[in-house]
Amino acid sequence: MPLLEVRDLAVRFSTRGKTVYAVNGISFDLDPGDTLGIVGESGCGKSVSSLAMLGILPKPAGRVSGGQVTFDGEDLLTLPDERLRHIRGNDIAMVFQDPMTSLNPVLTVGRQLTEALRTHLDMDKKEAAAEAGSLLDRVGIPDARQRLRDYPHQFSGGMRQRVGIAMAISCQPKVLIADEPTTALDVTIQAQILELLRTLVREEGMALILVTHDLGVVAGVCARTHVMYAGRFVETAPTAELFANPKHPYTVGLLKSVPRLDAVRKQRLDPIGGAPRDQTSEPTACAFAPRCAYATSESWEQLPVLRELDGATGAAAHRVACWNPVPERDLVAAGIRRPPAEGQSSAGLGEERPA
Amino acid sequence: MSIAEAEASQLAVEQPSGLWSDAWRRVRRNPAAWVGAGLLLFFVICAVFAPVIAPYGPQESVGSLAAVPPGPSAEYPFGLDEQGRDVLSRIIYGARLSLLVGVVSVAIGLSLGMVLGAISGYFGGRVDGVIMRFMDLMLSIPGFLLAIGLVTLLGRGLFQIMFAIGITTVPIFARLLRGSILAQREADYVLAARSVGTPGLRLLTVHILPNSIAPVIVQATLAMATAIIDVAGLSFLGLGPNDPGLPEWGKFLAENASRLQNSAHLVFFPGFAVVFSVLAFNLIGDALREAIDPKLRA
Repeated sequence: MPLLEVRDLAVRFSTRGKTVYAVNGISFDLDPGDTLGIVGESGCGKSVSSLAMLGILPKPAGRVSGGQVTFDGEDLLTLPDERLRHIRGNDIAMVFQDPMTSLNPVLTVGRQLTEALRTHLDMDKKEAAAEAGSLLDRVGIPDARQRLRDYPHQFSGGMRQRVGIAMAISCQPKVLIADEPTTALDVTIQAQILELLRTLVREEGMALILVTHDLGVVAGVCARTHVMYAGRFVETAPTAELFANPKHPYTVGLLKSVPRLDAVRKQRLDPIGGAPRDQTSEPTACAFAPRCAYATSESWEQLPVLRELDGATGAAAHRVACWNPVPERDLVAAGIRRPPAEGQSSAGLGEERPA
Repeated sequence: MSIAEAEASQLAVEQPSGLWSDAWRRVRRNPAAWVGAGLLLFFVICAVFAPVIAPYGPQESVGSLAAVPPGPSAEYPFGLDEQGRDVLSRIIYGARLSLLVGVVSVAIGLSLGMVLGAISGYFGGRVDGVIMRFMDLMLSIPGFLLAIGLVTLLGRGLFQIMFAIGITTVPIFARLLRGSILAQREADYVLAARSVGTPGLRLLTVHILPNSIAPVIVQATLAMATAIIDVAGLSFLGLGPNDPGLPEWGKFLAENASRLQNSAHLVFFPGFAVVFSVLAFNLIGDALREAIDPKLRA
């Protein structure tokens, strides 16, 4: 049984008679040591999914309307509050997007770091302070012991995100959810934070769910990537395979809108036309159809489900929810694949990833 | 230690260490705050050391009964009243009363208002609706009128008066804190604290309250000024503390309003006392507001 098993998770937001169908049935498994990327544009439901798993959706508007989230044999969605609170931080923890706002401005960093330690591990003040010091040290903050007494605004953005990560890993959770952990940081700091996450996953054996809109980020960190659109997964594959052989027109669109160093410089970036789907109704057909060049009448009428491709199963499975997957020649034309004559070694972004 | 290191540690010391020290720095740079603090200090000293400072007792007759009491002189700088009591001494003793009323009534209003506001803002929903409609109801009655009604109902003891004035400030504090908590409740750091399993009550007291309380503190300072005016006003209307000997400034004004034409000093000096004590609190309150208001922060 996997460590974390999500089945058909659905989340709705209701305000004044209007309902937003934010997440419409996503499923995935996570084993210890797994690194999973969830990629999608703003508003596709990726952050909401992570909040829902932890049971911290903004109330009363947000609510989980269906599905199961099973962690270690317990369904998180039906657990009593008290038990769920115990799991949060202790077993599953989260790193937030904006380090400028996700630390409490009136409490010292040490105070915030010891919070989880004292709640979950029953440490006394001294032990907790010592542990907090070594946590800061662990995430690469110099003079860790002294800095415990500092306030968040005395840290730079990157350092604050390190503090946020230290807070999240303080009780050695089994699952770490990182929600756009590098979006608010500049590129060099991004690389450092990603390296830190990679190291932590490797050394602590944590499972990582990395939520981001940045394909470059998942490329470097995640073994497997789910592409999310309008609250559903539209394509899921091992990261290298996804970059080398994308099948869903949306994935292809995302790849085409990222500048590539290895591409022949021949064209402008090609953004995806149109606007994200209005989520105030439940999707009954392919949500991407209005923006899709490959859409057929089937796309407009029936909801595609994830189907396996080329018989690969288990960890290598490549699934796509599309009636008309992008043909190979179009991938070549888009510069995502080299022409077949040159062989299959393509896909610059997906190449370096931890085994 | 090299010079650079020495300088660095110096810089670190000067670094502000949070919202409050930041605000404190701004307050210290505000001359109005200094004037207000100076005035307040003056009144506090008068109140605390009244028996030492005042030349005579508050009830002590040093002159004779007079229809037209003598005005200021070298011997009695603020003059005498119709019973021959030293006005200066009575005003100095009066400071005790006014400050006491200000502090106690605001403490009553603040504690009740904060509890209601915190419950309302944190739990929201129906509880919030009920509490806030009740606060609206209270606000729809002019505060001073409400105080008059309560004093009439409860009696004219000093504590009853402070309680009545305190009650009129409850809805202000409750609404202010509720709004402030609503703004913080969904903040990222609260979400982050929830995500590590912080229990609900700690979330409110450790994370949300300290971040929401600034405007309430400003309001509390300003409310003290209002409380002093209110108690003077109640006394002026004959609803002041029923102990006739109490040297209350407002009562002083009320008793001597009819003598304005021939013994103006009996009205001027207690009037000034009220004005300056209120001014002190207002200056401090405004300076605090400027220092804490997020719109004025860089």
